Amino acid sequence: MLHPPNDLARSIPEIATSRVVLVVGKGGVGRTTLTGALALAAARAGRRVLVTEVGDPDGHESALARLFGRATFPATPVDLAEGVRGAVLHAREGHARFLRTVLPVPALVRAAIASKSLARLLDAAPSFNEMGVFYHLLDLMKEERAAGVPAHDLLIVDMPATGHALALTALPEPLLELMPHGPIADAMREGQAILYDARRTAAVVVTLPEVLPVNESLELVAGLRRTRIPVTRVVVNKVQDDELDADELAALAPLLEGRELYGAARVRSTAARARAVERVKAEAGAAISTVPELPLVGRELVERLATMLAPTQGGDA
Amino acid sequence: MKTSTPPSLAELVRTRRIIVCCGAGGVGKTTTSTAIAIAAAREGRRVLALTVDPSKRLSDTLGVAPNLERPAAPPPERLAHAGISSPGSLEAWMLDPKLVADRLVRRFSRDDAEAERLMQNRVYRQMTRMVAGMQEYTAMEALYGFVQAGQHDLVVLDTPPARNALDFLDGPGKIAEFLEGRVFRLFLPDENAGMLARGAAQLVGKALGATLGEDNYRELQAFFAAFAEVFRKGSASVSTMREALSDPALTAFVLVTAPTSVALSDVFFFREKATEMRLPFGGFVLNRSQARDDARELPTRALVPGDASSALDRAFAKLERMAAVERAEVLRDRDLLADLARRAGTSGFAVALPSIAGGADDVDSLVALARAVLAS
Repeated sequence: MLHPPNDLARSIPEIATSRVVLVVGKGGVGRTTLTGALALAAARAGRRVLVTEVGDPDGHESALARLFGRATFPATPVDLAEGVRGAVLHAREGHARFLRTVLPVPALVRAAIASKSLARLLDAAPSFNEMGVFYHLLDLMKEERAAGVPAHDLLIVDMPATGHALALTALPEPLLELMPHGPIADAMREGQAILYDARRTAAVVVTLPEVLPVNESLELVAGLRRTRIPVTRVVVNKVQDDELDADELAALAPLLEGRELYGAARVRSTAARARAVERVKAEAGAAISTVPELPLVGRELVERLATMLAPTQGGDA
Repeated sequence: MKTSTPPSLAELVRTRRIIVCCGAGGVGKTTTSTAIAIAAAREGRRVLALTVDPSKRLSDTLGVAPNLERPAAPPPERLAHAGISSPGSLEAWMLDPKLVADRLVRRFSRDDAEAERLMQNRVYRQMTRMVAGMQEYTAMEALYGFVQAGQHDLVVLDTPPARNALDFLDGPGKIAEFLEGRVFRLFLPDENAGMLARGAAQLVGKALGATLGEDNYRELQAFFAAFAEVFRKGSASVSTMREALSDPALTAFVLVTAPTSVALSDVFFFREKATEMRLPFGGFVLNRSQARDDARELPTRALVPGDASSALDRAFAKLERMAAVERAEVLRDRDLLADLARRAGTSGFAVALPSIAGGADDVDSLVALARAVLAS
């Protein structure tokens, strides 16, 4: 088995050092699987991990929850595995938690949460939804298990697909211009202080060794940086371990000529995959990790990746 | 009116006025909707590809700049390359929420002066800058505008990348619901309201005042008061649109998926939602599929000469492993396609579009997909 070139790491050290890891990427690149693996890897390195995604506790099945044997996550953290808890980031829960902090009287909070009118308003206005999600995330970050001791050492967020991830990270700025003062502004600023701080937050962009996913991931890196989120790493997922070298490609070419063979398309795109990885390395302006393509799915895949990604394993595999 | 064989994708492309492509992020929805648009244009229809994909690649491929005021045609040489002969038959536009909102304001304000005043509103200006939610809110309005204008035989809509791709249908409805009398009156306190309504209004007012800050709350109230008329008329046109979208003679919803378990579970969810919302289901597209390729053979050792170099020996072993992976994918995708066909039953099609090596980022690849659409 070939190992990745020595300038490409296999581990993702952010899970040992950051408070918040945002896992970002378009659909189909393996973002959710990687999120699950990172959560297990960090927990095995001794950190208390909370793994989250944007969703609805009563909504349709979540792929992330399924990796941990559940249909969905609840809005308050639940134990998933040794050192790993899970929760869904839910707009309505965020609104409720926010109301609880700003309204003086519990009865008023209950009435407000039960109010259909308020619910409709919050549903109707663009961005109120994202605001709720954002606040729920912030509130989970601040949870403590004892005075001054955070409940979780690390929050890993399986971010929504590209467009919605950017909508979420881009939320605070226009909102602060719209409402420069008041409790929402305070919450947004508090969130920004954590999310824009490279010592605490790391966004990890997941992509595939193919032309289009790489192009889109580079746009995503740029988009996240425009919203001031520190992008520390691009993870190239499903890298094939048995790529052909130049000699092997040359030797095989005459044999493929004039035949329609299974495997030939993969052989022919060898160079394109290599170029895609080169392009990420040259243009991302972030550390690069590669994760191999494995003939596994679901929890088995997550377990294997967690072993590979364990921060104790150090740089190269 | 039910026929035993549902219309094929090719037939929908030739006959419908609106095709809406839905699917989870990353399944190749934008590529599929562009291929559908090219397919219709090759058949001589005047087509508008309405996309919400902010990525540059589609505009690069088609040669249509993003951020344009109105739809534009790709350069003639690209159209010719795509096998589109009649001029003006393919246009593309990337949804710009701010432009759509401005148009709405101009259309529904009493005069230019009022329109200008409304567009200067601080809350309005900030809101139209927000990405979150604005695509969902303006996609329907944009679709309505283009369908009403009648300059195209077919509008192909690539839906916003929402977790629930049908959110864009709900968005304007939510605003309409909010504006429908009671709730809206609670938000804008009304002296004539009864005791109960006044109590509820006070509660909403208190909650929002505390939540937003009193200043912001008052400003937001003023915004809604100023825009009430625009919103009301806007949501009326959206209801007209909603009716057109529910008419199977005019519209088809095409659910796009890829061979991954997440994408599949999302597309089944959309199917349920579409049925619930009485939206005409066109069928399933299994994108990036290997199911159509069946002329290939597995490589056998007999192909390797006896005196093969060690490089060839190593290469052949790797080829065999890659072949096994590809073969497994073909079998998996054929099963998936059969499953989709079974699920579509007599109410829709199930078609596989081929996976294109290196991705569909050039005109040739899109044309290959368009051909597959027309052959379906």
